[in-house]
Amino acid sequence: MVFSSLFFVYFFLAITLAAYFICKTTKSKNIVLVIASLVFYAWGEPIWVGLLIFSAFLNWKSALLIQKFKNTKAATVTAGLAITIDLAFLIVFKYSGFIVENINALLHTSIPVPQITMPIGISFFTFQAISYILDVLWETVPAQKKYGRFLLYLSLFPQLIAGPIVRYSVIEKEITDRRSTPVDISEGAMRAIIGISKKVIIANNLYVIVEQFFGTDISNLSFLGTWYGVIVYSLYVYFDFSGYSDIAIGLGRMFGFHFNENFKYPFICKTISEFWQRWHISLSSFFRDYLFYAPIFGRPRKYFNLFLVWFCTGMWHGASWNFIFWGLYFGIFIFIETLIGKKRMKKWNKVLTHIYSKFIIVIGFGIFYFTDLSQLGKFFTNISGVSMITNGNAFGDLMTWNSLLNNIFLIAFAIIVSMPVLDKIKYFFFKWGNNTVYAVGKIGATLICCSLLIICSILMVDNTNNPFLYFRF
Amino acid sequence: MEEQRKKAPVNNSAAKKKAPRKKGFNYMKKKYVIHGFSVISLMLMVPVFFITAVLLVVVPRSDISYIEKRKLAEFPEFSFDKYFSGEYTAKVTEFYDDTVPDRDNFKTMGYNFKSIFGIHTEEEVKIIGKPVSVVNDKKKDDKKNSESSKKSDAKADNKTTSKSETKPEDTSSAETSEETGNNKIDKEHDEYIEASNGLIVVKHEGHYRGLELFGGGSGETYAQALKNFHDDLGDGVKIYSLSASTASQYYLPPAYEQYSVDQKETMDEISQLYSGAATYVDVISALQNHVNEDIYLRTDHHWSPLGAYYAAQEFAKAAGVPFKDISTYKKVKVTDNFSGTLAAWSEDANLSNDTEEFSYYEPANNEKCTTNYYTTSLEDCGTGNFFNQVGDVEHSAYLTFMGGDEVVVKVNTDVKNGRKLLIVKDSYGNALPGYLFGSFEQICVVDMRYFQRNLVQYAKDEGITDMLFAMTTFSAVGGNAENLENLRTQ
Repeated sequence: MVFSSLFFVYFFLAITLAAYFICKTTKSKNIVLVIASLVFYAWGEPIWVGLLIFSAFLNWKSALLIQKFKNTKAATVTAGLAITIDLAFLIVFKYSGFIVENINALLHTSIPVPQITMPIGISFFTFQAISYILDVLWETVPAQKKYGRFLLYLSLFPQLIAGPIVRYSVIEKEITDRRSTPVDISEGAMRAIIGISKKVIIANNLYVIVEQFFGTDISNLSFLGTWYGVIVYSLYVYFDFSGYSDIAIGLGRMFGFHFNENFKYPFICKTISEFWQRWHISLSSFFRDYLFYAPIFGRPRKYFNLFLVWFCTGMWHGASWNFIFWGLYFGIFIFIETLIGKKRMKKWNKVLTHIYSKFIIVIGFGIFYFTDLSQLGKFFTNISGVSMITNGNAFGDLMTWNSLLNNIFLIAFAIIVSMPVLDKIKYFFFKWGNNTVYAVGKIGATLICCSLLIICSILMVDNTNNPFLYFRF
Repeated sequence: MEEQRKKAPVNNSAAKKKAPRKKGFNYMKKKYVIHGFSVISLMLMVPVFFITAVLLVVVPRSDISYIEKRKLAEFPEFSFDKYFSGEYTAKVTEFYDDTVPDRDNFKTMGYNFKSIFGIHTEEEVKIIGKPVSVVNDKKKDDKKNSESSKKSDAKADNKTTSKSETKPEDTSSAETSEETGNNKIDKEHDEYIEASNGLIVVKHEGHYRGLELFGGGSGETYAQALKNFHDDLGDGVKIYSLSASTASQYYLPPAYEQYSVDQKETMDEISQLYSGAATYVDVISALQNHVNEDIYLRTDHHWSPLGAYYAAQEFAKAAGVPFKDISTYKKVKVTDNFSGTLAAWSEDANLSNDTEEFSYYEPANNEKCTTNYYTTSLEDCGTGNFFNQVGDVEHSAYLTFMGGDEVVVKVNTDVKNGRKLLIVKDSYGNALPGYLFGSFEQICVVDMRYFQRNLVQYAKDEGITDMLFAMTTFSAVGGNAENLENLRTQ
């Protein structure tokens, strides 16, 4: 089920919200949420919902055993087994085809490539389960005694299929005791509407441009056309994914859960390290906390672990070489930045650091887009200008100019909204101002959100199928 | 390691301390204000949300989109197989999203909203899709043509497959009449999608016009089919080839000509390939003399009835048959607000809102002519009008001719000259027969995409003297040409 569809918003969510708020106790509310979450998942994966339930059971039981055997080897072995099974599911469903294809290519064998459909969201709920197992092993959180509550944590539909990767510690207390205050519901609803708007108004329409430029063979695409396409694609990914995170955080808040932020205006970064502190924070913090410090041959090895993290980050995004290159590409720049040192980089000219970071990020999104390596090669020859010499490609073309002119306000708006402008406005109305200013801000924001919801609903009439980009991960 | 683990930040917002109060700030008062205005905010948002949710369930749903020219999704039948494959739930979602009450109006509102994304200049141009430059680089042209042909062929294959799944024997007359209105719309839509190679919307002299870009093609399949028909039918049947260009041939701004292959040059080259087997009716040149008249619809991919008139005139000259002047026809206005396929496909608000007049020309002898409609198995469905107004005329006015893409239609006129014409056509050909009611004794019209019998045999059975292949240049170089050979051999 796609968040940005009329069916989800006005049918599934409406029924779920009504049922949820009819219930008085946290227990009954939890039952509603578990049922809704399983229906939500089964709607798209009628068979693999069983895998989700089993995975929840396995990790719930393992955590109880880990707690029972705490400070013994048995706890570590149990944790190791649970994580191995979790990763085995991920490898079988997500990477088996990729692995076999590469073995065949490398060894000239013809092992049949498994045609397994990947359960939606498996990367997200597997990582949530792993984080829970490790947190229990490290005694950061106590194991959840009730299966239903743990199933709620793992299957909670706002964040189930495209994140953010919510740690158990974040919602541990709220699972057993929470309240949805009018402030929570109001601000959560506004956040969700803003997320839907990011997706429906901005991301979907940016993607039309991306398809126009990158949708078919890019051999003859001009130099400026390639740059334009990849810049628009970078904006698209941001609005698509951060929009989803906004919806997840907003819906969570309406139900009384307070998830952590997943994006903090990544395009205002000055370095690549800073970019990853602002982009998909739940994933980068997962790797930082659970893999970066992992012992390799007895102890953590800083640079090896760094590249291991970025290899895994790339691999997590998809079973394709371009994603691995993408991860390692960022790993290289973070490695270089580590060598230079934060203090030295801070002394650099701010304009230059902005140009440097945006240049690297935008090229990175080119690597991210082209799963076909031959097209990726063409992308590099186009964007570097080499194809102007080797293939006679144009420097610029009418199509690029035409597209820019026809979407100038959309692109300008996207760039502005990707900066913390809204936060400044919110700060003025909701934090800095007096009560009158607050009242004006709140009513104004409500009216704007109502208008956005209506506009999104109208635009969703035209969106028969517009899945979020991160659904495939 | 253990220490590092302990140091690892725990992302627990619940553990975060409350922000310190601001100096001189009445926190408690602010807290009540925040609570109060959140309640007011909810009082505004909740009704909007839930009323919309209820309306979407109780208001009757749409079943046809005239803008998109298609039948909307139907509620699926339940089966365990479909459920476990995910098909059932996907179709339920599709049904809910697709059949929104008053869908067409909401879509138009959506187009209008999207029109604020860009700058609108006096001579604005908007590109839809990804046109490929066809600048005078022979090497690139050849490569592109071959790609274009392959693409079209692949689509033709798909189409042929779906067509072959329809069993002529299963089609009862009742089903056929039920199909009228819905499936015809689908067919028109399919054809357009197939032909599309990018689209440009231009504003010229105060009006918007949609233009399809032509990717070119060798046309070898088409030429070979004409030669084969000539071989099968012999010299007793004169064969004519009338390939109509689309509006981009005449109205494309010079700067954008690099994105469209010259259709006249393409057709001239193809005519060399079937020389001797068929007569080339050069309607592209004929229409060139009338570019200042409304010979093409601005919002639709078809020519206008007036454009078809000039094409029919050119054909009549080539066939050596009498032809009535336009002044002898009765002009019938269908609508002032026609918005056709290009408006729908481009999703361009300006083009959609800049509607146009659609009028056809009724021949003086129309009342004296009888029009019969036939099923795919050539069963006679009875007599009907040649000119019909089907469905929502503001979006389907081009269905006026024979009600759209009928499989077989036969018109018996009051002319007694022994000439019997068979028109093998795509939807461009629909507008032609009416202008030939005074030229031929009998006119059989066959849709090249849906005819399921052997066309050579059909021509012999009907005693055809003249055979006209009337279609757009897109069909002549694309997948539809592949069908011609099927018609000859099936």
